[in-house]
Amino acid sequence: MKKDLKVIGKPTPKLDARIRASGQAVYGQDVVLPNMLHGAILRTKYPVADIVSIDVSKAMQLPGVVAVITGDDINANNINYKRDNPVLKRGRVNCIRDEIAAVAAVTREIAQEAVKLIEVKYNVKEGIFDPFEALKDDAPQINEFVKGDQHINIAHPFYYEHGDIEAQKRKSAVIIKTRFELPRMTHCCLAPCAITADYSNVDKRLTLYCVTQIPFLFQRDMARVLNMAPSDIRIIQTVIGGGFGSKLDMYPYEPICALLSMETGRPVQITFDREEEFIASPTRQKMTIDLTSGADSKGKFTFREARIIMDNGAYTSWGATTPFVMMQTFSSMYQLPACIFDAKAVYTNNVYAGSFRGYGNPQATFAVERNIDLLAEKLGMDKFEIRLKNANYKDELTGQEMKFISCGHKEALEIVSDKSGYSPCHSREGGNLSNRYKRGIGFASMLHVGGGAKIYPSDGCGTNLKMDDFGKLTIITGSSEIGQGSETVLAMMASEELGIDLKNIKVINTDTDIKPWDVGVHASRTTFVAGNSLLGALKLLKEKLSNKAAQLLKTEIDDLVYEDGLIESTTSGESFKIDKVVREIHFKPPNELCAVYYYYEPGSEFQDKYYKGNVSDTYAFAAQAIEVEVDTYTGNIKVLDIHVAQDVGKVINPLGLAGQIEGGVVMGMGYALLEELYSEKGYILNPNFHDYKIPTSVDIPNIHFYPVETNDPYGPYGAKGVGEAPLIPTAPAIANAIVDAIGIRIVDLPITPEKVLKALKNDA
Amino acid sequence: MKFNVVSPENTKELLELISVNQDRYFRFGAGYTDLLIELKKQPDEDLTVINLAQLTDDIFTAISKIADGFRIGSLVTAKRISLSKDLQSNYSVLTEAAKKLASGQVRQVATIGGNICTASPAGDMACALVALQANCEILNSNGTLRIIPITDFFTGVRTTVLQKDEVLRSIVIPSNNRKNKIYSNFIKIGTRRAMECSIVSLAYHILTDEKSIITHAGIALGSVAPTIMLAKSACDYLLGKSFSSLNPSEIKEFSQKILEYASPISDIRASAWYRTEVLGNVAKSIFEN
Ligand SMILES: Cc1cc2nc3c(=O)[nH]c(=O)nc-3n(C[C@H](O)[C@H](O)[C@H](O)COP(=O)(O)OP(=O)(O)OC[C@H]3O[C@@H](n4cnc5c(N)ncnc54)[C@H](O)[C@@H]3O)c2cc1C
Repeated sequence: MKKDLKVIGKPTPKLDARIRASGQAVYGQDVVLPNMLHGAILRTKYPVADIVSIDVSKAMQLPGVVAVITGDDINANNINYKRDNPVLKRGRVNCIRDEIAAVAAVTREIAQEAVKLIEVKYNVKEGIFDPFEALKDDAPQINEFVKGDQHINIAHPFYYEHGDIEAQKRKSAVIIKTRFELPRMTHCCLAPCAITADYSNVDKRLTLYCVTQIPFLFQRDMARVLNMAPSDIRIIQTVIGGGFGSKLDMYPYEPICALLSMETGRPVQITFDREEEFIASPTRQKMTIDLTSGADSKGKFTFREARIIMDNGAYTSWGATTPFVMMQTFSSMYQLPACIFDAKAVYTNNVYAGSFRGYGNPQATFAVERNIDLLAEKLGMDKFEIRLKNANYKDELTGQEMKFISCGHKEALEIVSDKSGYSPCHSREGGNLSNRYKRGIGFASMLHVGGGAKIYPSDGCGTNLKMDDFGKLTIITGSSEIGQGSETVLAMMASEELGIDLKNIKVINTDTDIKPWDVGVHASRTTFVAGNSLLGALKLLKEKLSNKAAQLLKTEIDDLVYEDGLIESTTSGESFKIDKVVREIHFKPPNELCAVYYYYEPGSEFQDKYYKGNVSDTYAFAAQAIEVEVDTYTGNIKVLDIHVAQDVGKVINPLGLAGQIEGGVVMGMGYALLEELYSEKGYILNPNFHDYKIPTSVDIPNIHFYPVETNDPYGPYGAKGVGEAPLIPTAPAIANAIVDAIGIRIVDLPITPEKVLKALKNDA
Repeated sequence: MKFNVVSPENTKELLELISVNQDRYFRFGAGYTDLLIELKKQPDEDLTVINLAQLTDDIFTAISKIADGFRIGSLVTAKRISLSKDLQSNYSVLTEAAKKLASGQVRQVATIGGNICTASPAGDMACALVALQANCEILNSNGTLRIIPITDFFTGVRTTVLQKDEVLRSIVIPSNNRKNKIYSNFIKIGTRRAMECSIVSLAYHILTDEKSIITHAGIALGSVAPTIMLAKSACDYLLGKSFSSLNPSEIKEFSQKILEYASPISDIRASAWYRTEVLGNVAKSIFEN
């Protein structure tokens, strides 16, 4: 029986909107503990050097300084995915981010002053800043902790294939080979990094007030780094001012802060200023993609062969595993009979890359979608037709063995084509306004996991529920709120199921000592996984309530409905207030609390060693059509309209969804047109918002969003993951639109006015 | 970043404070949108900031019509300039420059005096004022006024003719005299539409008579040389020509003359090549519609 939904699908402001807007939210920077010290970190002056000596005596003498630590003073294990990153560097530095020493002092200013007084003698060395150089046979080893039988500078290789690529090449009427260069982009979280560590010498426990998006993995990793028991570490997440993947890894400043607290026996806080945030937080992988794509004479795609070199930087974060996601796009976005994928994360002396919303997919999709336009052009086929012809479909089993249990790809493509007013004759000449301004339309699609991603022994999430004697519900969820609106979505689901008002629901989700386990915020998984976990718990809670209510109302459980704070019998029309039912359970035999717990594990599979398997319960699809206007005098691109159709399964909170879509699209626009962290010989040239440009509010085009509801059989209410998707097709759609307008060749990002003008000039 | 702040409330107090501080390191502060950024990069010194923001004298704070044009106090903000109907109808090059400066928040506090005195080649309002061939009214600590054309005000990147005991009091924009039609606008080239430092800017203020003949032309260029440039020979070239019927070769020659004033550098925002190319293109665009 399908009942009408009362809360799900209704625009609902975020639960934390008021405290955020009124300035009452406690971000990492706002934490104040009694007796707290402030920490500051000395980073290297040169990207590559041997450290000859470190003299901290002057810093120690500065009044107000309580402790100074260097790599020689600490007992800590390396951090990061390959455990190749010492918390404080000894003997040598490998990139401009490297931490050499840290100070704890009574004020932030004194700590910063003290850092300047630390004298380091360096023996400056030549570095390697180009991954292709690093791959040469005689290249020196960049990271001393690397082991294995690969080339010494390969941090992580990936290889995948399916289908008979040679046969497909023979079947191809056209083959396009392109080399793409994708830039380093950084997250630009509004709140820079912040942590407060509080170690107690008495009970030997450590509390970290921090901004991680994976609290339980962070807890375990921190324990390993500090040689502690995980359960002695308590992670409390402060309000997080932007994650976007940046908080998936641990960074040295976090254990450094813990070490300073352990050293001093006092709480210590470390916060970054904006420049440090630019230099010391991660980036999207800079990479070179050689993509060869084929299609037969009817426009059916035949194969893709992708060979990728990623600039890993000096250390290996989770970011090195982005090929895991990229290969899904190369292998399975649009129907594809054969694929070869070969990617290597290669060490250099650049700042290291990390994980970033989309996780490699923006790069992969850029390459795939640019090549599709080139294939269509060579075939003389319409660029919308060719996409529609190859679109993914429901119940498709892809070469990589992903199962598309629900799929709105075709529909998404049709919607954006229709809404953008695209017609084949619109292209090029049709869109020209004048000699100076030219318009064009571009398309791109995307495929991303939409039901979690099984890469860790469990991809699950736990939920504890308790309803108090007054009918108020507390949801204790393992999942984390990092601004994406997850707690609101969870509260909406509980409100829907229990028929109680949102204001009677609290979400507790910030404390590892309290909340049940969850793998973390990544893979756009929270609504899907935490939502299903909550629904499981709600079912148990309702069983409890319904048993009692049926008894009180002298009716059957099936006869009950939950509405307006009441549990009602549909036959008699009689009802009890929900809190009354709770009290009946609590204060009369069997005298139980109205509390339950539930753990949900998605049905997805681990991939085998060939990277095959259904890694997610379901998948998200989207298409965007973007219209741009190019000023041929200046090379400036004005993005006019962005049409987004996305298979979200089911809209839970239209407001939150619009926020994700608009935010994602704007991030994609920045990637397309503006953003690049420039680096020269390992130095960052634009560590500030003046020279690192992100779109401003007046640059935002009209964003039209059309949700596609495929009602996924596994999703909560049919919903699937939405968070990363909107960013992914934006850059290629913009690039394709620019090419449509002025016919230049675009193989790299960002598409700056200067590059456009140069290309126009060269073509002329 | 540490400094003392003193806040005079009238001209007399201001002049006294300037005198008193002659032997010390002091700076003027108006909207602080340039000053604070500059001070952040400097080592702490014993610095006094003479805060102009509390001055109440009209001569510093008002936009007023005078016999031979308009006077704008140095403390008038970009926001107020952008809203002035008088300035809009007579000198839209200036109001457009003010509207394109930074963002709503910055415009609220950024002053025209600060924009001039900071002497950046990318100063937007300053560039418009060069096109308007405005005069700077400068007061020294004795209360003596000297007036110099803005075209002589800048001596290099971030340097001006101001002496240590001088403050910029106001700016006078000459009247348009017998105007018929005014072609006055500010073209700002950057990669985004707000919070953008000009990669190239071109300010023009062109007056024509009834027959569309150009009787006056002021064209200034920003971000293509160490200081904002008045493109004098390009201005002169236009005099006597008909605005609406310049032929392509005349337009080309005009744009060539503009480019003679450009000696751009390459930096992280744009290459010299791009700056030159764009300047040539947008120079031509003045005569297109
Ligand atoms: C985010 C941002 C974006 C910006 N974007 C732009 C832009 O798009 N276009 C642009 O042109 N500028 C831009 N600027 C620069 C700045 O906002 C302008 O130059 C502004 O007009 C400066 O005015 P102010 O009142 O803030 O000057 P202040 O910072 O107070 O002073 C600037 C300098 O002038 C001196 N000074 C100020 N008033 C006087 C006076 N009356 N007499 C003598 N000396 C004086 C000060 O001592 C100081 O050296 C931007 C700045 C920021 C922070």
